[in-house]
Amino acid sequence: MNEPRDKERLTGVAAADARFAEQAKEQFDGSVDRLDAAALSRLNRARHAALDELRQPSFVGQWVRWMPATGIAAAVLITVMVMRGPRDIELIVEPVAVTDFELLLDNESLEMLEDLEFYSWLDAADLDTYGNVG
Amino acid sequence: MSACAGVFAVSCIREQATGAETLQRESQLNQFLAEVERRALRIAEIGIRDRDEAMDLVQDAMIKLVRNYAARPQAEWAPLFYRILQNGVRDWHRRRKVRNHIMVWFGRGSSNDDDDYDFVAQAPDPAGRSPDEELQIDEAMQQLEIAVRALPTRQREAFMLRTFEGFDVAGTAVAMGCSTGSVKTHYSRAVHALRDKLGEHWQ
Repeated sequence: MNEPRDKERLTGVAAADARFAEQAKEQFDGSVDRLDAAALSRLNRARHAALDELRQPSFVGQWVRWMPATGIAAAVLITVMVMRGPRDIELIVEPVAVTDFELLLDNESLEMLEDLEFYSWLDAADLDTYGNVG
Repeated sequence: MSACAGVFAVSCIREQATGAETLQRESQLNQFLAEVERRALRIAEIGIRDRDEAMDLVQDAMIKLVRNYAARPQAEWAPLFYRILQNGVRDWHRRRKVRNHIMVWFGRGSSNDDDDYDFVAQAPDPAGRSPDEELQIDEAMQQLEIAVRALPTRQREAFMLRTFEGFDVAGTAVAMGCSTGSVKTHYSRAVHALRDKLGEHWQ
């Protein structure tokens, strides 16, 4: 029974709300237009400072930019290491280790160390007798 | 060697394309920020009643938008920008509330603050406006600012975004980080509270 009247009342409320919002917007826009030159200047500077962020590449951006070159360099390095690395280790480490081991186990070398004084006298005597023949 | 040259050429072309895109994006961002900056400053200023602080919040919002969301579609910038700004305003109030609590603890502040920022509405105006500017501001706008400032936070945000910035319900929901239903509720309550407070003859 009261439906049309309720609808009319609701429509009236909605219209009043809309009118109020429109007036508030007008007031607000007026206050925006009245912003002083100092505020506008600061806003301008703030905007340009923000836009400078675009020109500064981020850490992630730099990483992405250098990623292909870094990847190629890493691949080359790994390839070289895989192809040459183990052979170099064999060449350098193994002979030294074996030589040290042989020195420790060689009985003749130990006897030579014990008679070191005799051998040095023998060298000196040879030099006196035959001269420095090399 | 030819492969290396090819990679270099592709890299150069991509670099040029990226540079052109950046310039275009910078131009679009500049235009967008120039359009919203003044309204954003007034909205932040109404929220915290301090122009210097409001200016800092607007600049922070600009920087965060450019740094984090420049690559997003242009249509998303406005809600994202206001979302960052509203978060900044909320954080500002939170920090101020903590500072006030600390001052109260040391016996140097007011203990009348409640949870809904009434202390801001009651505080003296530290906005830094010149006397001439104060005179210029319409009395009706001053009444509106005081009434808006007294609203609960979410109602204030919904009202300012919808009425002052002109967002639709969906855009306001994105900016506030809530559902469209919540936006409708907050906005409706805000308008009724403001009309009740300012009266029918307010203009």
